[in-house]
Amino acid sequence: MTMRKRLLGWLADAALILYFVFALFPIAWMVILSLKPTNELFSTYFSFSPTLDGYRTVLGDSEGIPFVRFFVNSLVVSVGAVVLSLLVGLPAAYASARWRFKGSENLMFTLLSFRFAPELTVIIPLFVLYQKLGLFDTYVGMIWVLQLVTLPLIVWIMRSYFADLTPELEQAALLDGYTRKQAFLKVALPLVKPGVAAVSLLAFIFAWNNFVFPLILTSNEAQTVTVGALSFLGGDRPKYNLTAAAALVSVVPPLLLALTIQRYLVRGLSFGAVKS
Amino acid sequence: MIVLRGISKTYGRTTALDDLDLEVREGEFFCLLGPSGAGKTTTLKTVAGLEQPDSGTVELDGKDMNGVEPYDRGVAMCFESYALYPHKSAYDNLASPLRSPRHRLPAVQARERIGETAELLGISALLDRPVGQLSNGQRQRVALGRVLVRPARAFLLDEPLSHLDAKLRQQMRAELKAIGAVRRTTTLYVTHDSVEALALGDRIGVIRDGRIVQTGTREEIWYRPYDTEVARAFGRPRINLLPGAVAPDGGFRSADGEVELPIGAQASCGTQVLIGVRPRDLTLGEGPGHELTGTVYVTEVLGRSVEVTVRLGEQHVSLVAPRGDATGLRPDDPVRLSVRPENLLLFEADRPERPGRRIGP
Repeated sequence: MTMRKRLLGWLADAALILYFVFALFPIAWMVILSLKPTNELFSTYFSFSPTLDGYRTVLGDSEGIPFVRFFVNSLVVSVGAVVLSLLVGLPAAYASARWRFKGSENLMFTLLSFRFAPELTVIIPLFVLYQKLGLFDTYVGMIWVLQLVTLPLIVWIMRSYFADLTPELEQAALLDGYTRKQAFLKVALPLVKPGVAAVSLLAFIFAWNNFVFPLILTSNEAQTVTVGALSFLGGDRPKYNLTAAAALVSVVPPLLLALTIQRYLVRGLSFGAVKS
Repeated sequence: MIVLRGISKTYGRTTALDDLDLEVREGEFFCLLGPSGAGKTTTLKTVAGLEQPDSGTVELDGKDMNGVEPYDRGVAMCFESYALYPHKSAYDNLASPLRSPRHRLPAVQARERIGETAELLGISALLDRPVGQLSNGQRQRVALGRVLVRPARAFLLDEPLSHLDAKLRQQMRAELKAIGAVRRTTTLYVTHDSVEALALGDRIGVIRDGRIVQTGTREEIWYRPYDTEVARAFGRPRINLLPGAVAPDGGFRSADGEVELPIGAQASCGTQVLIGVRPRDLTLGEGPGHELTGTVYVTEVLGRSVEVTVRLGEQHVSLVAPRGDATGLRPDDPVRLSVRPENLLLFEADRPERPGRRIGP
């Protein structure tokens, strides 16, 4: 019996390791690719003379591709989109959790539908609109259009956090002499901080990874890393090592963010999920 | 002064309040007593402005509160769930009203006020702790403190002693009314504990199914209960209710014919009735008033007194006698009981749709 159990344990471990290798292989391949010199780019062997030239080129703007600017653009646009969504979405989530009115569910569903409607269906009209309104290739335009990605996420997740709070806490605040706005800011909001941290990270990642909107709605000034990294594939020879280096550099901000707020994240992701 | 007129409130298909009328006089300590689900908390929240009634009016100090926000009503409420701010310390919870725009006190005065209140409730040593680390009884006292710390037009207290242990509850019950703020302030106190209501209430309102069944002083509620439910709600052991009918001479005749009491009922012969007598109003042995005979069924010692259950025909009645009178009583011993006529209550028989109303004396 114990023998059998031990065997099963080994098998499970082996299966997990196998999956681990499978899951991490693309990332390992990217790292290898980014370290290859240009002349060894197309060899599939694992032995090569590693070099950081790829990173130097990408960060040094020497190919005529302003990757650092794309990176900054991504930061500005993603952070901007998340901040704007929080400013609008937190009060919206709170209101929708507390007050049911005629059509409130339809409103919430409409908001959600932005998430599952494919972006490509609206991209052409958006392109035309943006051209006419002067929003094409601007920060404001990108932050605005990314609300389609970040706002529904923040509103829907935060709504369940607020719904889990007993309304009596805010009622107590009202009777203590605070207005509804103050009750929201001083009582409800501090209690959902873990949720705000978790949902902000998720929204940031979605905004950061978005590809279609910057592809169509930016050309240069407001272009982001997701589209910018592809520039290295253009020209007469695709420079896969540079693309890989660019992709790896652009993983850094979401990764750092996730690590810094990890403490909140674990609590946050489980907190809203289970109704107490 | 709190006046509710014709308040109705429904949640979907359930009726929480059904045309409820209530008046709490200036400075009065009013106890609202009822079982869970009777509408007690909804009543409090309606007064506080946290629930909007479907119809009816709420007046505070003679002013119609329709459309007045909770923070402008100037009432303080103690929630049954405590509703303490979990991310703050006990001190900050108590300080919350004193830091709000409407009841702001300078920090020094606020600290003094909080100190006094904490002292009063025996929570001075707990002030620095986050409320998450407090026991239920301690939380309840902090919640009560958050009400008492501030001036208010009225205090609304929702079962504020329910989670204290028995000893502390008794002590707090004795002290609550002596607290200066409570003595001066109109208080609407909700409870399901009839002992608490009798001990605390200047007047008591009995609520059932979203309506006030009876309002009165403790004497009125005790001696003149509106119906059998109210009579049963007060007093332990419970009131004895013997089923029977009105005899041709206007007397009471029990269903099995074993008990007859000349009561002069103002009801037609044959009316199905219940006669009520409280256990402490039945005396063992001969005494003034009507006499009954039966046999001992069981006795139970309650400290200095004894609860004796006596079989009268097919009925059992209980009575509480001094221990000396009941020593030596064994099951099946014959006993005589006496009851003064003024201690008898006559009710119509309970019906499925409503408890029997008192029809005499």
